[in-house]
Amino acid sequence: MAEQPDKSSSPAEIAGGLLPRNLGVKVGILIAFTAMVIGSFIVYVLYARGVFEQTQSLNLIADNAEGVNVGTDLTFAGFPIGRVRRITLRDDGKVRISVSVPVSEAKWLRASSVFVIDVPLFGAAKLRAFTANLQDEPLPDRTERPVLRGDTAEEIPRLVATMRSVLENLDQLTASGAGLQQSINNVRALTERLTGKYGALGGMLGGEDNARKVIALIDRANTLLGSLNGVALKMDTVLAKTDRAVLSPGGLVEETQKAVTQANVILGDVRASLKRVDGILADAQVIAGNTKAASTDLVALRAEVEASLRKVAALIDEINRKWPFERDTKIKLP
Amino acid sequence: MSESKSAGMFLFRPRSWRRVLRFAGFAIVAALSPSTYGAQAREVAVRQIYFTAWQILPGYTVAAALLSLLLIEVVAASARKYGIAQYSLELVLSVLVLELVPLMTALFVALRSGAAIGAEIALMSVRGELEDKEDAAASPLHAELVPRIASAALSVASLTTLGCVIAVLLTYLAFYGFTPAGLPEFTRIVSNVFDGLELTSFCLKCLLFGLAVAIIPAATGLEAERGVLKSLPAVVLGGLVKLFFAILVIEVASLMVKYA
Repeated sequence: MAEQPDKSSSPAEIAGGLLPRNLGVKVGILIAFTAMVIGSFIVYVLYARGVFEQTQSLNLIADNAEGVNVGTDLTFAGFPIGRVRRITLRDDGKVRISVSVPVSEAKWLRASSVFVIDVPLFGAAKLRAFTANLQDEPLPDRTERPVLRGDTAEEIPRLVATMRSVLENLDQLTASGAGLQQSINNVRALTERLTGKYGALGGMLGGEDNARKVIALIDRANTLLGSLNGVALKMDTVLAKTDRAVLSPGGLVEETQKAVTQANVILGDVRASLKRVDGILADAQVIAGNTKAASTDLVALRAEVEASLRKVAALIDEINRKWPFERDTKIKLP
Repeated sequence: MSESKSAGMFLFRPRSWRRVLRFAGFAIVAALSPSTYGAQAREVAVRQIYFTAWQILPGYTVAAALLSLLLIEVVAASARKYGIAQYSLELVLSVLVLELVPLMTALFVALRSGAAIGAEIALMSVRGELEDKEDAAASPLHAELVPRIASAALSVASLTTLGCVIAVLLTYLAFYGFTPAGLPEFTRIVSNVFDGLELTSFCLKCLLFGLAVAIIPAATGLEAERGVLKSLPAVVLGGLVKLFFAILVIEVASLMVKYA
């Protein structure tokens, strides 16, 4: 059993006889391929993890880092520009999230950048950077920055509480016997009245009786307006008569005009008389010696002046009589 | 011989497991010592790799590609359905490359070579060849077993690598098509999925799979009794049962370490 021929009959030996010649080459290729793939994959993963890249670090300080893990991306405009490397709890109870950012991507982070942890309803938390002004100074290495937290899941309880109170209010409003229900009933009654006999008037006044009264009132007001119209017509006639009395030919105005003309004529007479007086006085001066004759003339003259003056007085009386509104009776003589 | 030679019994015999562990210790030490690899041992190793890896290469490639395509489609479609399409690539990479491809490779090699190695060694011990060699002052462990174990483990590593390459390539093609445009995003997700811990546990798992596939059938094969041909089937089957159990334990343990 233990002899050599027995050994050669073992399955492996039999199989060995069937082996192809270039066995070593094939196995070598396989092993070389394996080694090459493993090596290049390790290099690729190292490259993917940024081992060959120069990075700078950024420390974000958060109150709560829930949802953020080592490996979470820091994104800018949706593009990953950095990765969380470490998360530590500081002595003051705040969380320090260390982010490593490749130097080539650090240009997106500026001194004025704002960092936000965004926790969506579904999926992992997102770390976002917002830079308003890309012309600001670049963010130096090892900077510490606060990070804001926007948590949709945290908002939900508040939202639910608000919704519940809103719904309760709504419930109260719509419950039977609630204010809204009564208002709606009132509106219905109102619209029913609006479509009734007296229409909107009945609706507004709350009943047909009141509406009837209002209509009676309007009727009476109409009658009143009719009589007022008659009064106004009479007034018109009176005014026309007055007009005629004052302005028609032979009316008050024309009489007054005539009187004024007469006064003008009389004043002309007076002026002529006074001129003659002037001449007579000059004569009197010239004929100083014959006083007697002159005094005779003077008597006649005085009589003439007196007559003129009486005419003037009569005229003024006449005017006063005809012009009742003028109260100043003085006449100024020249 | 007649003592409880049903295959399932091997699973519950502590003595059998102890033997496997002791054999594994010897084999690993021997596999790591350069003096093991003489010209004859190298030839055995090359032959073993040829049988274990090269011959099944076409079948394995097709199987890996089919499995990858199927899983990519399933994951991508269900991710779209549940509105988490942005995570599907990550999901595919971590499920397919890190979990399924190594497991599939281990099962493939176990079926193809584990049973063969176990049967061969069981046959040798039935014939008493191993003991004869010991008598002739030649260590059967060094000459016959260790090269086979080392090459089976190497084959598992090699096939796993190939399977992962196929899976990663198909994943990229399925998600981005024939364009390099997706490379930056793909690189970012690869770096997310394959971090240091993941890679270490992945390598450890592949190594353990390889060792289990190589050692357990061989170690169980040694339990065959000299001259009792009837013990052969039970021993070979028992080795496979133990092997599958070990693969299951390794997979579960790695998942527990990773996700628990």
